Amino acid sequence: MSKRSARESRGSRAAAWTAVVILGGFGLLPVYWMLATAFTPAQETFRYPPSFVPTELTLENFTRLADEPDLARYLVNSLVVSIVTAVLSVIVSAYMGYAFSKFRFRGRRSLMYFVLSSQMFPQALLLVTLYALFSAYHLLDTYTALVLSFTTFTLPLCVWMLKGFFDTIPDTLVEAARVDGASRLRTIHSVILPLSAPGLIAAGLFAFVRGWNDFIFALTLAGREKTTLPPGLVNAFLGEATAQWAELMAASLLASLPVVVAFIALQRFLVGGITAGAIKG
Amino acid sequence: MSTKTARPGTTGRVPASRPAGDRPPRRLGDGAFAALLMLPGLAMLAAIVVYPLVASMVTAFFEQSLVEPGRRFVGLQNITELLGGDFWRLLWQTLVFTVGATIAPFLVGLALALALNTRIRGRAALRGLLLIPWLVPSVVVSFLWMWIFNANYGLANGALEALGLIDSPQAWLAGSGTAMTAVIVAKTWASFPWIMVMLLAGLQTVPVELHEAAETDGAGAVQRFFAVTLPHLRGIIGIVLLLEQIWNFQHFDLIYVMTGGGPAGATETFATAVYETAFQGFDLGRAGALGLLWMVLLLVMVAIYVRRSEREGQL
Repeated sequence: MSKRSARESRGSRAAAWTAVVILGGFGLLPVYWMLATAFTPAQETFRYPPSFVPTELTLENFTRLADEPDLARYLVNSLVVSIVTAVLSVIVSAYMGYAFSKFRFRGRRSLMYFVLSSQMFPQALLLVTLYALFSAYHLLDTYTALVLSFTTFTLPLCVWMLKGFFDTIPDTLVEAARVDGASRLRTIHSVILPLSAPGLIAAGLFAFVRGWNDFIFALTLAGREKTTLPPGLVNAFLGEATAQWAELMAASLLASLPVVVAFIALQRFLVGGITAGAIKG
Repeated sequence: MSTKTARPGTTGRVPASRPAGDRPPRRLGDGAFAALLMLPGLAMLAAIVVYPLVASMVTAFFEQSLVEPGRRFVGLQNITELLGGDFWRLLWQTLVFTVGATIAPFLVGLALALALNTRIRGRAALRGLLLIPWLVPSVVVSFLWMWIFNANYGLANGALEALGLIDSPQAWLAGSGTAMTAVIVAKTWASFPWIMVMLLAGLQTVPVELHEAAETDGAGAVQRFFAVTLPHLRGIIGIVLLLEQIWNFQHFDLIYVMTGGGPAGATETFATAVYETAFQGFDLGRAGALGLLWMVLLLVMVAIYVRRSEREGQL
């Protein structure tokens, strides 16, 4: 206890509290405002000055969302595209990440930089040609176009995450499998990948979240049939003269839920999984 | 566009390093095996990243429409037209957004990281809750701040008027003087949690003994921050700022949804300008030319980032 007060004077603790109250408020008040608006009767939101505490709580904004027939389709599209993107990215990047982690070959570093930097270039520019490309193959407004375009940012992400994960698996495990007579491919499939389940799941969840949050690719490459929630919500709500803010906040809440849930799951895997897997295996 | 552009030969040329008699003769060398493992990923990146980026920049030298077939070579005309016109305004506005949306969340993230690195109560819960702004989709961030900055019923007007900071409700997103600031505030809200988490991770590596030694020598909290904490965080701060800068330099979602580049182009950046030129103006030549100039600037930033990460041992 004396050590604590020695290192953290009263003054610095007061400063810490001030920062937490003001900046934490900046971080959390908007979240509260989204929640409060989503549960406020729509007509109450058209009032100035706004009431900071809801005068009345209701679920009507959520039930009214059910009447919008397109939203359910956008939701399904978002789920399908994000899940397929995540699975595809993890499969492809597992092999690539493994090659980067466990093999030493000429050009390895350059290739790693290439993969790292490939996610840093502007999507708007990428789209100029991707649009023409998918159009030429009649892939506009298809799941294929969305999955492929999402892969442009999930693949580099997964490769780097999994490379980092494989680095934590001791080379002696690979060597032991070789001594036991396993082929290199078999070593990957029967030894490395089962051990890496936490890493694969974490990478997949990250890819899912990134895909779920995409806006620009779905906006451009998908039409009304296959578009995902983000562009779908923009089209459904922002085109009107007076936006239905209460309903929009309810929809925003629902659109945010999967990523928050995914992240809670992810956190557990990241904390518990990374080192434990290799040792126990 | 074919998969052949996936840098063949960079990996396959390494001969098998083990003695030949050690294994069956038809077995691939390690280099070739690694190349096979990487082939699907590299082929995809070549087809959907490298080829489209290069092809988009090549359109800079053509007169070409999104909706009509065919194109005509015009040399540097698109580029010189831009350099004699819109380019500088877009560069300035992109830089204002980039600097604002990098520095502001950095300061917020740093202050919160320092505060949450002390033993104040509830810090674990706060660390978790404060991640929410970073997790929610960018479109949701846009909606939320459009609602907060709403001219008629918005929370920002209500709060600022109650505090006596403004006399009457403002149309934040429709005013050419305030729209950019409003978008930067929204981006700051979405970005600070990631910076906070990165800096918190960095703070855990600062040795306690150093702080204690500095304190014994009579250094106050502020002095210790500049003499001990900050030098320790230098590497991670550099990485965080560079990455944020690269991301903000090409940020699209918040600007496009919140203002659409308006009012009167006041929040237009390279990202929204390239997008609108290509997909609303159908002018691929001009979009490509803008994109080419944009990419050159971005390449410099990415090169600095890669070199710096290498030095910091992050790669």
